[in-house]
Amino acid sequence: MTHATETLILGLLTGGVYALLASGLTLIFGVMNIINVAHGALLVLAGLLTFELWRRLGLDPIASAVVTTPVMFAVGWAIYRLFVARIRTAPVSMTVLLTFALAITLEGAMGLTWKNVFRSVTPGYVNQSFHLGPFFFPKAQVFGCLAAVAVLSGLWLLLTRTWAGRAIRAASQNPQGSALVGVDIRGVAALTFAIGVATTGAGGSILSVLYPLFPASHYLWISRLLGIVVLGGMGSLPGAVVGALILGVAEAFTATYVSTRWATVVFYLVILVVLLVRPQGLMGSRLRGDVVT
Amino acid sequence: MARDRWKLGWAVAVLVLIGSACSGGGGGQSSGESKEPITIGASLPLTGEFSQPGGAAKRGYDVWAEMVNEKGGILGRQVKLTILDDASEQNTVVADYNRLITRDKVDLLLGTFSSLLNLPASAVAERNRMVYVEPAGGAPAMFERGFHYLFFAQQATAPHQADVFVDWVKSLPAGQRPKTAAYPTQDDPFAKPVIDTMRKALEAAGVKTVYATVYPPETTNFDTIANTIKARNPDLVAQGAVFEDGVGLVRSLIKAGFSPQTLFQTSAPSNSDQYAKGVGEANTEGVFYTVSWSPEATYPLNQDFVRRYQQKYNQVPEEDAADAFAAAQVLQAGVKAVGEIDQDKIADWLHANKVDTILGPLSWDETGAPQSDFLLAQWQGGKSEIVLPKDVATTDNVVLPKPDWKQS
Repeated sequence: MTHATETLILGLLTGGVYALLASGLTLIFGVMNIINVAHGALLVLAGLLTFELWRRLGLDPIASAVVTTPVMFAVGWAIYRLFVARIRTAPVSMTVLLTFALAITLEGAMGLTWKNVFRSVTPGYVNQSFHLGPFFFPKAQVFGCLAAVAVLSGLWLLLTRTWAGRAIRAASQNPQGSALVGVDIRGVAALTFAIGVATTGAGGSILSVLYPLFPASHYLWISRLLGIVVLGGMGSLPGAVVGALILGVAEAFTATYVSTRWATVVFYLVILVVLLVRPQGLMGSRLRGDVVT
Repeated sequence: MARDRWKLGWAVAVLVLIGSACSGGGGGQSSGESKEPITIGASLPLTGEFSQPGGAAKRGYDVWAEMVNEKGGILGRQVKLTILDDASEQNTVVADYNRLITRDKVDLLLGTFSSLLNLPASAVAERNRMVYVEPAGGAPAMFERGFHYLFFAQQATAPHQADVFVDWVKSLPAGQRPKTAAYPTQDDPFAKPVIDTMRKALEAAGVKTVYATVYPPETTNFDTIANTIKARNPDLVAQGAVFEDGVGLVRSLIKAGFSPQTLFQTSAPSNSDQYAKGVGEANTEGVFYTVSWSPEATYPLNQDFVRRYQQKYNQVPEEDAADAFAAAQVLQAGVKAVGEIDQDKIADWLHANKVDTILGPLSWDETGAPQSDFLLAQWQGGKSEIVLPKDVATTDNVVLPKPDWKQS
């Protein structure tokens, strides 16, 4: 029983971290209808920046999110202005191609800059756990979950409680209409994309602590994160949280009670089943084709 | 119709004549009268997935060529390396070796890196009846084809790389010997055979298996595996770890607060710098692994190799560089012993004789599979020490049981 409970705890904590990693991906899709395949590469990039700050300045990886978040915001802004803006009116599949190309380019650039070796950020707490009775709660995962809560509630507040957020949502629902009432559509789009990429600042911090970083490891992350947002409903923030928690727990239980071989398949099975049974995901709504541009 | 055949026959005959004239010329040069350099061709994964070990292997070959040429070359002729880049691609590696043999007409070949690439490349060499000594490709499939010209220049094929550890465990007094064991391994052509063979051997020796799992290469989260290991409480944890997963499992075991009496991992701990940084230097204490080469080993030429490598590249040689150097040594020994560049004679000689290399003495069975043992190494005091075999051990001390994890 202890074993099963611990498995559940580990699954939920991992799920929390997944939610943090997936938040920007789902935001960009929900608002802009862009599937940002480069999200995984941007996470690894943020992780490597965190590594650099830690190695050179001894900056705590979680504290360094304060630095990497604005940097990643700027990166997101630049990517949008330079590349994505050009294909805003093209079909969604073109955004997949474009961002995939970006992912490969980033991978190559990271390989040149940081070499194809594994990098780990190892502050004191990385291998420590909080202990409660017979259970252990790995500290890095706990911090990751807290960061996920902070980032996701921040995004939620931004979208629902600020003018910029309302503009973002309005632009996503009806670009022509919101332009008529004075929303700068292009500015809002760049802002959304930049915010989505900025979340990789916090995500990369946690990633760099939990897993060794390698330029090509982004493939692994993007496939997992897509599984999460597809399950939760593409574009839904609460959906990403629910999807991440379900998949974290499913992965942990599969690894423990079925086989570790099957644990990584869980994500892909989920994508398949969701697309067959409930294509809009758990909490996603069907998009209205008439207003999506 | 008949006339056409006639013409075709002539054309073929002329081609054959030209061909034999060319190769005849080549053969004449290699008899040692002329002082033209001996050309040695290889293709390495200098870019792509295996670029890191591929680059190391190239440095190993280059250092070997430099050292050989300083001492007058082989058979009084200088050595000239032609190294192509196969981009870690099977198709490219085949094209590369074909080109080296047919267009560049190299005198000798050296192998590439990884079983993936050596499998097709060695077939090209075999077809052309050229000796093929390869530095890294120990998957069983390499030796199931019964090739005559293939030689693997490490001590043992993948399934036997941990034999030295198994023997050590069996040699322990009953009180210290592990009674239970857990075997997590990555589904990898090098790691898994090592652990499979070890598990069978230890089970036969009475070590009970309490947990075994095969995880895919994409696995990043080892907390659940560590949690299960903790629940089963084995004396020995033997992991088939490539790299990332080796660090990941150790970290997760630390988080779970479970420290086994004995911890063995396949390749991960041999990436010294990256491994120590990944798990924390204090936590490396007592971790066992097997390795083909050590910078401390006192085998002939090894210290010269280390010194020269450090001068040239300003870093301690990687294991992959040493393996490449050893492969070239094997080829060199064959040519020297035979006294001419005769592929069949070289192959026969290598099948029948032992060669001294910086990895220790190597010998081969009829399929080219090596017949020696890896070195058993253990992390002690923040550096790796060789524990076995005794004649090259750098310490008599063995850390047992492994101390508890240190929370840094």
